[in-house]
Amino acid sequence: MGAHISIPMYQRAVPQRYRLVGQRCGACGKINFPPKAVCKYCYQGTSFEDVQLSGRGTVYSYTVIAGGGAPPEFAAEARCKGSYPVIIVELAEGPRVIAQMVNPPEEGIAIGMPVKAVFRKIYEEEGVIRYGFKFSPA
Amino acid sequence: MTKSIISGGVYLPTLRIKRDEYLSALGSCSAAMREKTVMDIDEDVITMAVAAARDALADLDVSRVGVLTLASTNFPYQEKALAGTLVEALGLDKHVLTSQHGNSTIAGTEALLAALGLLEQTEQQYALVVVSDAPTSGPDVDMEHGFGAAACAFVLAKDEPGLAFEGVYAQSGETMGLRYRLPGETDIRDIGVKAFATLDYNEMVKAAVTGLVSKLNRNLADYRHIVMHQADAKTAAALAKKMGCSDVQTKEGSVFADTGDIGACSSLLGLCRVLESAASGDCLLISSYGSGSGSQALSFRLQAPLKNSGSFQARLEDKKYIGYIQYLKQKRSI
Repeated sequence: MGAHISIPMYQRAVPQRYRLVGQRCGACGKINFPPKAVCKYCYQGTSFEDVQLSGRGTVYSYTVIAGGGAPPEFAAEARCKGSYPVIIVELAEGPRVIAQMVNPPEEGIAIGMPVKAVFRKIYEEEGVIRYGFKFSPA
Repeated sequence: MTKSIISGGVYLPTLRIKRDEYLSALGSCSAAMREKTVMDIDEDVITMAVAAARDALADLDVSRVGVLTLASTNFPYQEKALAGTLVEALGLDKHVLTSQHGNSTIAGTEALLAALGLLEQTEQQYALVVVSDAPTSGPDVDMEHGFGAAACAFVLAKDEPGLAFEGVYAQSGETMGLRYRLPGETDIRDIGVKAFATLDYNEMVKAAVTGLVSKLNRNLADYRHIVMHQADAKTAAALAKKMGCSDVQTKEGSVFADTGDIGACSSLLGLCRVLESAASGDCLLISSYGSGSGSQALSFRLQAPLKNSGSFQARLEDKKYIGYIQYLKQKRSI
């Protein structure tokens, strides 16, 4: 397998992977996603408040992973579709996240296009389904 | 305490395959839909369930949900409590009362009835019912031609205006050899005698529906919409006609032509469709069916339009067609 993530590691991240729970820094007020031990913006804040992110955002950048370029956990998906797009999304609350895009428009992905988070199977390992978020055109 | 559906949610996968694709690839198609819904490779009944539930819960306070019931004939695990996956994905309270229903296409109405009962055991105001199904079999099984995929969700509330639940009537009995699946097998089996299957469907559903209207001292003519379980459209339509329903009463609740056989979701997705146009005062009847077999008929009256009746029409129009070869790849058959 490619970038192996153990079941305990994945499980600890369930709130962020399943429903985009971020954290607001107690020192500077900026929103971190995924959650950090120290705020990535002010490098000082260590206390945070959970915030439910909206799942809405815009495409900041994108690439298309062609069949042979897919890591092993995504190989089945690449074989089925030939290729699949991966995007960097700038969330409405500020943070940028990387994820796959589902149902990309036929005319192609455009920088700045609005997207929304959807709940999908990311991959399966050890017979355990890893659910998480992808983005679809909004 | 009156209990009403106050909100609905729908999810239909974007991918569709037309019946014509079956005709050109196989020379025949055993199901009479126009097209059907197909899950993408990264979808399963749980991802569809989450999407439908989020649609139903939009604008509601999720912390007031005290009950979660879930139904499907095709859960991704044979053993595992899947309500917990939904609790996390939806951000529900971790103390919700849960129940999970499967093994038969009657599971959808079972989940709705279970939620009505469990609602009495919680201090919370709402119960969430999620029915998500994608019947599955190998592509060489005739029955598979009709198998689609869909999910719907309903929020039930205590003493709030909405689609008020009026009553239920059920029929159960032993019928052997119809649509069954053995542990560990992926293919559906069936003895393949269509006349026998139709006879059983007719007897079960008719007993439940006529029992319900007589229990409530009504006539079928009192119902604006009658939604049948649609494992195939012709059998459902023929029985409705035989019972004395008009085309106007059954037309809007028909979903088979657009989605195919969606198992436990069948009549509940039909309910979502009629809710988009139903008016205050309308009486609605839905009936489910599970082979083996049983049927449940439920009666509702719309007291006030729902805040959110789900996005059936929008989901229906958002689609992308695939060919038969791509369909087999989606199913991981090739």
